[in-house]
Amino acid sequence: MTLLEKMDRVVYATGIDRILFRKMTPRTLRWTPLFVIAVLVAGYVLMAKNASFPDRNFLIGWALFYGAFLAAAFLRVFGPRFTATALSPLDERELMVKARAHAISGIVLATFAMLGCFYMASGGLLGLWYPHHPMDWFNLGFGLQAAGMLLPTLIASWMQPPAIADEED
Amino acid sequence: MALYNRIALFRAERGVSRRELADAVGVNNQTIGYLERGDYKPSLELAMKIAAYFGVPIELLFSFQPFESVADTLRRAGAMGE
Repeated sequence: MTLLEKMDRVVYATGIDRILFRKMTPRTLRWTPLFVIAVLVAGYVLMAKNASFPDRNFLIGWALFYGAFLAAAFLRVFGPRFTATALSPLDERELMVKARAHAISGIVLATFAMLGCFYMASGGLLGLWYPHHPMDWFNLGFGLQAAGMLLPTLIASWMQPPAIADEED
Repeated sequence: MALYNRIALFRAERGVSRRELADAVGVNNQTIGYLERGDYKPSLELAMKIAAYFGVPIELLFSFQPFESVADTLRRAGAMGE
């Protein structure tokens, strides 16, 4: 058996092919995205409060934040289907769920961005914390990106009841 | 307004799995599950495809009024025959 064949076999044995080729059964993820958002916020706060690289709390915050960022990217694969594959295009119900979930997610993000602008404009005047270090803005950008990945999965999961298993599944 | 359907009944009667029906009408098999539970209202196109698959008029499969149960239908048919 060649090295390539061995590597190919490992891909199928570990089940990575199910993720790569999106063969996962779509699931409703109602609480996991909320947990990941909470970890993102906790990680961001830890990094913002201890904005120096060798600090232990900063490193814990960094690990939490970017761990949650990775989890956000992966959760999309396990939640309701948003991406069509060559063998399995999105049907009318999935397209409707995708459109509504992304539309609501966009409204939620835009509202938070608007409120954030007001807060940042007034936070400094009131002596409250606001992102002023370049690293704070950098992380905030990644945080918004992660929220943009998580919110459609969260909203789509609450929009529909859990799927019932097919008799052939 | 609720939309009732008898997809599960027709499927059971014809011995058709959700996956077979889903493949025939071009949707995900979970969508058939959502339809049967009344959690999703199909488009006119999908409703007509399902009716055509079973070879029945659309109003035999979908209704705004709850369908009579099979037991009641049989009881009524039996009473008419006597």
